[in-house]
Parts: sequence; structure tokens; C-alpha cells
Amino acid sequence: MAVDPAQQLERSARLMELLARTALADQTAFEQLYRLTSPHLYGVAIRILRESAAAEEVLQESFVNVWHHAGSYVAARSQPLTWLTSIVRNRCLDRLRKHDVDTVSIDDEDHAMTIADRSPLPLDLLLSGAEAGAVRRCVEALDAGQKQAIALAFYQGLSHSELARHLKQPLGTVKSWIRRGLERLKACLDGAGVQR
Amino acid sequence: MNYRTPERAEALAAQYVLGTMSARARTRFARLSRRDPVLAAAIRAWEDRLSPLAESVAPVEPPASVWSTILARIDRAAAGSTPERRTVWATVSLWRGLALAGFATAVALALVLLSPPLERPAATLVVVLAGQDAKPALVASADRNGRLLTIKAVAPLSPGADRSLQLWALPATGNPRSLGLVPASGVVQIALPVDAGTALQNIPALAVSLEPRGGSPTGLPTGPVLYSGPVERLY
Repeated sequence: MAVDPAQQLERSARLMELLARTALADQTAFEQLYRLTSPHLYGVAIRILRESAAAEEVLQESFVNVWHHAGSYVAARSQPLTWLTSIVRNRCLDRLRKHDVDTVSIDDEDHAMTIADRSPLPLDLLLSGAEAGAVRRCVEALDAGQKQAIALAFYQGLSHSELARHLKQPLGTVKSWIRRGLERLKACLDGAGVQR
Repeated sequence: MNYRTPERAEALAAQYVLGTMSARARTRFARLSRRDPVLAAAIRAWEDRLSPLAESVAPVEPPASVWSTILARIDRAAAGSTPERRTVWATVSLWRGLALAGFATAVALALVLLSPPLERPAATLVVVLAGQDAKPALVASADRNGRLLTIKAVAPLSPGADRSLQLWALPATGNPRSLGLVPASGVVQIALPVDAGTALQNIPALAVSLEPRGGSPTGLPTGPVLYSGPVERLY
């Protein structure tokens, strides 16, 4: 969904309108909202959950939730796609963590290969991601370890302990990569912007 | 989980949004954030920062069965009683259609009277904020003794993606005081430091200005005033 800023504005305005009409129980608007955003949201869910049945369920639950709570969307606070993406990501993460107890193992050779086969690696996504210049610039400025850890967490939903195992690093190291990486990302994005 | 220092709250919100927290910490933090507007705002800010990263994920068309299941589930829900929210929203859109100058106060009263809960004592403050065309854009209302100011957008507003709408109290003398950011659609509640009767004492009017995203950096309005309206005291 990489688009130029003008298109992005137009898309946001359109999604805002559809959300507002959805809050008025307008089913046609709701369907249009679904058509416009579900491929993106489904892509995000599949990436994190790595299982289409689970991703479908999350997508269903999310949109039923949107139908009932579209009125709680506050346009002044967030972009419509950000709001929707957060709903979906949160449900994915809740689900992953619930079943967690160390079941996710992307160290598993088979699985690693399947993912590599089907789709780009998290790090590539992170760097190609964010056409929005600022995010990209800020991500590129991170250290390699920070980048890697943040990419795996964001795109694949790995927890601190899973990251430690996957990256073969002590838990403390991984936690500090994440913490410092996020701090630097924030400083950069918020325009306080000095890189180290 | 100690989240009481701003740095800690910020770091936890970041980890929550990124998704690295353990199941237990995640559940706990989600619960805390529902009660704590500072945590909720920190989470929102991190969602803003990180969600552009999701745009590089390739879209995947979901199977058609997903939509039919959603439809079935919302239809089933709709078969039950109509939630109050719909009624209020429907009312707003009806009034929006009228959009006549001079109707502003009538609209505000209708909103206040129709919005739940009806049983509240009617010591209410109402402000209808209108633009140059005198069409109502936002309605602010509060219980005189309550500490929540409810702001509702009654017309579609479009501040633009990199702009925010900021609400100001305009005292009879002295500088405007920020009351917070307001929605371009829907409804938001702003917590006041004291009860509304006291907070808006000696405040003849409220105004909304167009500001950089996140609000005025200076603490005073920097952009044009888009909407304003007198504070009406219904007591």
C-alpha cells in the first residue's frame, strides 16, 4: 500500500468518510471499507500468524469489532489505516501470546524456508517499508542488531524471549536492542532527530 | 509492572505496540491503559510511528468466505435491539442535514437532551462551535459538576493528515487556554482539571484553531480559528 502523499491524503479522507458512515450503521459503506482495506490487513495478519485460518478469524473478529465501534474512531487522533492496522495487529499478537508457551519456533528449518520462499524477509520489509521517507530514513539509521530485532518483532510478532532464541543472543542483549532501537526511532521520527 | 515514570510508560507503550511483551505483561498493560489516558495516548503515538512499517507488507486478497461470515455476524447482532449509539448518531446526521444558521442552539439542545444518560441533573454547559458560514461543526457539552467535556463533531471536518484541531477556552481577559485536541469526526471526552462549572467560569467562549499535528507547539493558537461559539449555561 505504498502511495504518494497526495494519494495517501485522499485515501485517508475516503476511509474516514467510510468509517463515519459505518458508525451510522451504513452497511454499504462498511463493505466498501472492507474491500479497500482487507487485503492489506489480511496480509499483515498472515505475516504475523503464518497461518491463513487464524488470519481469517482475526480479520473477521476485527471487522465485526469495527462495525460495532466505528463511532469510537477519532480522526483527530489517528489515521484510519493506522487505527485499523492496530486493531488487527493487536488481535494477532494477543492470539500469538495466548497460544505462546514457546510454540512459535521460526528456528525450525522447514518453516524458515517456507517463509523465505513465500515472502520477503522481515529485514527487507523493514527497509523497503515505509515509503514514507521519514520512517525509512530513521529505520536505516539503526544499528544492525536493532534493525533485525525490530523487524522480526514487528512483522512476525516475536516476543523478547523468542527473539533471543532466534537471534542466538542473551535475552538482555535483545531487550536492550529493542529498547534502544525504539528510543532512537522515536527521537528520529519526532524530529528531535540527532542520531547518536 | 512499574509504569509510573514517564520514561517507563513510554518504553512499555513502545514494546506493547511493537508486540514483544510476554503474554502476561501484555494483558496487564492493556488493562492498565484502558484506565490511564496517559498510557493510552502513548500507545496511540507509537501506533502512529510504527504502523507505516506495515505498508510494505504485500496485500493478500482474503477468501470470500471471510466477508460472508462478517456479514452474518453483524446481521445477527443487528437482529437484536438497536444500540443507543445508533440512535444518537442517526439524530446527528438528521440535524446535520438541516445545517441552517440559527439552528445551532436548537441542535445543541437536541443533542444534549437525546444523548444518554437522560437522568442526569440538567445543569449543563453547552457550546456550539460554528464556522464563518454559521453552520454548527462541533458541539461541546459538560455537566456543570462533572469533569468531562464531551466534544462531538456534527459536520464532517477535514483538518488534513498533518494537522490537528485544537480546542481553546477564551477568557474575558488574558490568553486562550488549551483544552485539548478535538476529533474531526465522532466524539471525544476531555478531562478537565476541575469541575466544568469552575473550569469554564469567566470563559465567555470556546474556539477551535487549526494547528500542526499533535497541537500547537507554543501553547497558544498558531493557526487560523476555524470555529467558535459562546458558552451557554443551562442552569
